[in-house]
Amino acid sequence: MNGSLHWLRHSLAARVTAMFMLIVALAAAGLGAYLYRELVDEIERRDDLQLLGKLRQVQIVLGRPGAAELVRNHPDFFRDTMSGQENSLVRIVAPGVAGQGETVLADINPRGERYPVPIADRASGASPARAAIADWTGSHGEPGRVVAAAARLGDATVTVIVARLYGERAAMFASYRHRIVGAAAISALAAALCAAVLLHRGLRPLRMVAAHAALVRPGTLARRLAAGDAPSELLPLVAALNAMLDRLQEGYARLSGFSADLAHEFRTPITNLLGQSQVLLAQPRNVAEYEQLLASNIEELERLARMIESMLFLARAGQEDVLPARQSLTAMDELRKVADFFEGMAEEQGVHISCTGDAVVRADPALLRRALANLVSNAVRHAAPGSTIVLDARQQAGVTELSVTNTGAPIAPEHLPHLFDRFYRADPARGNADGSTGLGLAIVSAIMTVHGGTASVAAHGDRACFTLAFP
Amino acid sequence: MTILIIEDEPKTGDYLQRGLGESGFTARLARNGREGLLLAREDGVELVVLDVMLPGMDGWQVLAALRADPATAQIPVLFLTARDEVQDRVRGLELGADDYLVKPFAFVELVARIRTLLRRGPAREEEQLRIGDLEIDVLRRRVRRGAVTIVLTSQEFALLHLLARRQGQVLSRSLIASQVWDMNFDSDTNVIDVAVRRLRRKVDDPFPQKLIHTRRGMGYVCDVDDTVPPAP
Repeated sequence: MNGSLHWLRHSLAARVTAMFMLIVALAAAGLGAYLYRELVDEIERRDDLQLLGKLRQVQIVLGRPGAAELVRNHPDFFRDTMSGQENSLVRIVAPGVAGQGETVLADINPRGERYPVPIADRASGASPARAAIADWTGSHGEPGRVVAAAARLGDATVTVIVARLYGERAAMFASYRHRIVGAAAISALAAALCAAVLLHRGLRPLRMVAAHAALVRPGTLARRLAAGDAPSELLPLVAALNAMLDRLQEGYARLSGFSADLAHEFRTPITNLLGQSQVLLAQPRNVAEYEQLLASNIEELERLARMIESMLFLARAGQEDVLPARQSLTAMDELRKVADFFEGMAEEQGVHISCTGDAVVRADPALLRRALANLVSNAVRHAAPGSTIVLDARQQAGVTELSVTNTGAPIAPEHLPHLFDRFYRADPARGNADGSTGLGLAIVSAIMTVHGGTASVAAHGDRACFTLAFP
Repeated sequence: MTILIIEDEPKTGDYLQRGLGESGFTARLARNGREGLLLAREDGVELVVLDVMLPGMDGWQVLAALRADPATAQIPVLFLTARDEVQDRVRGLELGADDYLVKPFAFVELVARIRTLLRRGPAREEEQLRIGDLEIDVLRRRVRRGAVTIVLTSQEFALLHLLARRQGQVLSRSLIASQVWDMNFDSDTNVIDVAVRRLRRKVDDPFPQKLIHTRRGMGYVCDVDDTVPPAP
């Protein structure tokens, strides 16, 4: 039971079919009920007119000369004349005189039905309207109608009562009702069947799209769903799915490229670790040499550890639910801190670091420091001796821009768009020699992304300017 | 001082036991959570180093059990995790761990954290530090070696103060970066090496007795002589 309800709730075809069936059933039943009502009204009106006609007929017969004798002396003849059908009942009653009860002059009632006598119009020869007709129920439960009116009989006034039973008519109505219900049910079922077939056919393009989508694998991301003969309602879905595949393919390609780069980057330190250790172990050495090897291994391993840490950092920053713990920071304080950190190293190279400008920046302090430190370490690495690295903060139009500018060997324009890519090195020969992981600027970019800002670079001659724009 | 290591990975467990032993601690090793809980109830365990990824009963369950048992509830716990997820750290600290380290970590970093946890109450800040003939007046920020006054920049002073305060302890580069410059990430530059070199030029180079020593592959230590002193 639960299962079937579940199915009904979740199958579009089942739901639409059920609704369609219900609508057709209601419409057919409504129409049937309306036509039935009209027919019943019409037939009842006619029967009532007939009943009134009968009354009129009796009134006319009683008003003829000699009718009083006929009724009194030949009641059988009168009865035979007046009774047409068996279900037609007629009674003629003379009112009581001087305390005596009323007298039944004639009573045509073969089955001995008992029916109420409605109040009659006292004026003789009056023709009652339909409203004067009363309902009654026959001894077999069949519906009946009865009407009474005054009439002249000789010189007396009598009451004529005409009644009739409509058993046959009721039976006909009942059968008619049954047929209406049957017809409504059949049309509802037929409609449901049609709806089911149409829906099944109509949903075929959707199934085809699903079948296509089911075939998408990491290796087949280049394939696109064919719109084919899909109806226009489905085209947006196909287009959206294809756009999703575009994005997935792009991301997947980036990831595969990244994995390849990563594996490549891991090779160098691991080669060093393996090679050095094997060479050293090949022959007996003195303690100093072993210590030297272990220390060198530790340096390589530390680089690997940093790389892994950076990779995990980038992977986490790529998830969109990472929210930095933002605070309002005085940009100058942060620039100063990072400048202090690198001051010694810069001085060793004869490079000066200066901080300028004033701004407030909303950022996660740890992430901001990390981004700035990566930029400054990059700048120190590339700065020409005797030059100055300028850290600048400025605020304009709701955006806080922190920039790091250094003077050094010019960056070729073709490198600029790729500087923030992972493992991208403008000078491949430098490689791992300086211990850099090649992820520093990628981390800067990722940090800016989680802040909703951007990282950019511009080169003017021998000056390179990296800018962080915080919203 | 007895430290209990709960670690299933054989190499990790072995080197932790050996390294902590050589750093002057009594190190006991449990290879799984149940064994660890039994050992923790024994007398004398003053700190637990707990790996989170244990087979069977995992580190979180061990931590909860340690905290639930009155005999072990007060023992500081430092947990090791390979998953550097924020919710992991939060979970560990919520369960009552005192500190954590993310694998891979520098061994000297572990020793430094253990020493911090074992130091009861806040560390007393010495106003005067003396190592050999080096004298540091912390309040006046003055440094002397014998009769010679040494002028240091504030960064250099902070670095020397840190090294001297932790006399005899090897301090990793990342610890120095974090304590002196508030940079809490591993930098791929040799900033710390340069800073130490510059400090040495003023503090050590003009004098016959060297006080700041390099522990290659680990970091720097400040002490009178250059042998590894295993003093907890």
